[in-house]
Amino acid sequence: METSDVAVAKSPRVGGQEPKEWRRHPAWRRFKTNIPLLLMFLPVLLFYLIFRYAPIGGLIIAFKDYNFYDGVMNSPWVGTYYFEMLFQDPRTLQIIRNTLMLSLLNIVLGFPIPILLAIMLNEVRIMSFKKTVQTIVYMPHFLSWVIIGMLVTTIFSMENGMVNRLVTSLTGEAYPFMYEKASWVAIFISSGIWKDMGFNAIIYLAALTSINPSLYEAAGMDGASKLRQIWHITLPGIRSTIILLMILSMGRVMEVGFDQVFMLQNSNVNEIADVISTYIYRIGLQGAQFSLTTAMGLFESLVAFILVFTANYIARKFNEGLW
Amino acid sequence: MRASRGEKLFYFFNYVVLTLIALSCILPLLNVVALSLSGASAVASGRVTIWPVDFSFYSFKSLFSGTPIVRSFWNSVQITLIGTGLSMAVTIMAAYPLSRRQFYSRRFFTMAMVFTMIFNGGLIPTYLVVQNLGLVNSYAALWLPGLVSTYNMLLMRSSFEQLPGEVDEAAKIDGCGELGILLKIVLPLSKPMLATLSLFYGVGYWNAFMSVMIYINDTAKYNMTVLVQNMIKSTSVVQDFTDPTMVANMTPEGIRSAAVIVMIIPILAVYPLLQKYFVKGVMLGSIKG
Repeated sequence: METSDVAVAKSPRVGGQEPKEWRRHPAWRRFKTNIPLLLMFLPVLLFYLIFRYAPIGGLIIAFKDYNFYDGVMNSPWVGTYYFEMLFQDPRTLQIIRNTLMLSLLNIVLGFPIPILLAIMLNEVRIMSFKKTVQTIVYMPHFLSWVIIGMLVTTIFSMENGMVNRLVTSLTGEAYPFMYEKASWVAIFISSGIWKDMGFNAIIYLAALTSINPSLYEAAGMDGASKLRQIWHITLPGIRSTIILLMILSMGRVMEVGFDQVFMLQNSNVNEIADVISTYIYRIGLQGAQFSLTTAMGLFESLVAFILVFTANYIARKFNEGLW
Repeated sequence: MRASRGEKLFYFFNYVVLTLIALSCILPLLNVVALSLSGASAVASGRVTIWPVDFSFYSFKSLFSGTPIVRSFWNSVQITLIGTGLSMAVTIMAAYPLSRRQFYSRRFFTMAMVFTMIFNGGLIPTYLVVQNLGLVNSYAALWLPGLVSTYNMLLMRSSFEQLPGEVDEAAKIDGCGELGILLKIVLPLSKPMLATLSLFYGVGYWNAFMSVMIYINDTAKYNMTVLVQNMIKSTSVVQDFTDPTMVANMTPEGIRSAAVIVMIIPILAVYPLLQKYFVKGVMLGSIKG
């Protein structure tokens, strides 16, 4: 693979060279240009080995009874003890269920929104309007969940929240939006969608520019309505982008962002708001249950890994695979 | 071609919905600005919407005098500037060799890096590595574990690969080494990509929350996100207040809002400058591979 890039393999070996001749050999030249590149790459290699691959090796403590004095290598093996513990405890099962529910809702409801937003922006003919809307809707992506969490709790607060002032004027009574499970889930999901919809629309907007405008003209001549044009031209035109992002979103099925849950959760909704990331933080780091929570982390990573591969396998059947 | 009635309806609907979406993004921010600049009684009675009522700077005054916001602001600046610099440097050091065709086993290295995007050790094993290196409670624990984002590295690599090949041929003839090509040709030609990724890394460090909660124990080292989060979660926002006029003129909501404004301003300051770049950067990402 590599040798085909340069002429190394094809170069004829000249026998009986003078001592200086080997310096002109392509393999030597390649080595010489590689020295600065390799030196440059060394810190990168160290980073990936220490902070990416060493933790993967550290996953073995999921099968050990880790304690600080024995360390990762010398702690005693316990087999699948911690996995059995995870899958027999109704509380941890509940946490896995919560994670799946919140992230599936997030994907099912949140995935189409950026596509819709991109299509709507694409149909805007007044450029200044389009630019202004884009600038505004991209912005929440760059704000931390601490800020968004504060905005959300302020708006839905029982005392002076903007929403509850409206609700009070209509029904005479404030509604505990952040303390009822159903409304909490609705607020959780929609705040996540709201934060990232603009930013996620950018990639679809890019894909939309590659559609040939003459297709729309022809369809318009034939009397196809705007909605039919979107259905038959726009959506097929960005199909591969949609599938690509679908595969990538599969990798996040087991993942509900720590910051978002941490900022929005409260004791009234903990039963449904506790997810894997907050569980690992609370039980693992604060409770020092390293082996148990590493088992949970390994389970999470494995499921995500399998889902990405399965999604890609299915996409390949339609010639849209990622690799 | 004239617009039919159906099309007119479509466009009308389109503009209305987009306006509503944009308003949903801007109104909450205006509300916070208004709260931070309103008088205490107006905030407490809930009369503030998107315009300050009984305009006053008391919330900001009590924020700066009664909370360690200034210290945590500088902590955030320090974390962000050094972190972004380190991340950009190492990302370039990864992307440049991988973009060179003559680099040994670049395919193997790329695959090994991409693998870490879909499978990782997770929080606890990473924490143990950081702990064993003795980095807990230092900012190195915020910078090193997330030093290179593989996704950002791939974006940068493909932008390097798209540079015309003749340029560095010419440079070689002029006697430029690999380092010379990188510094004199590749980097100056990649300014949009460098700006985009600096923004992504910078925002990541500025908003760092979970990593600070995990690795930093010393409250004097807290950054703004963690400080503001503590202010939001605890009931007593301001610790020691003796000045009675201060106490009469402040509300927790007002001070929190002021803190949020201080946190947002640096992002708003660089955001318009970098917007055209990050749109390009994300678009590059839509190219496969």
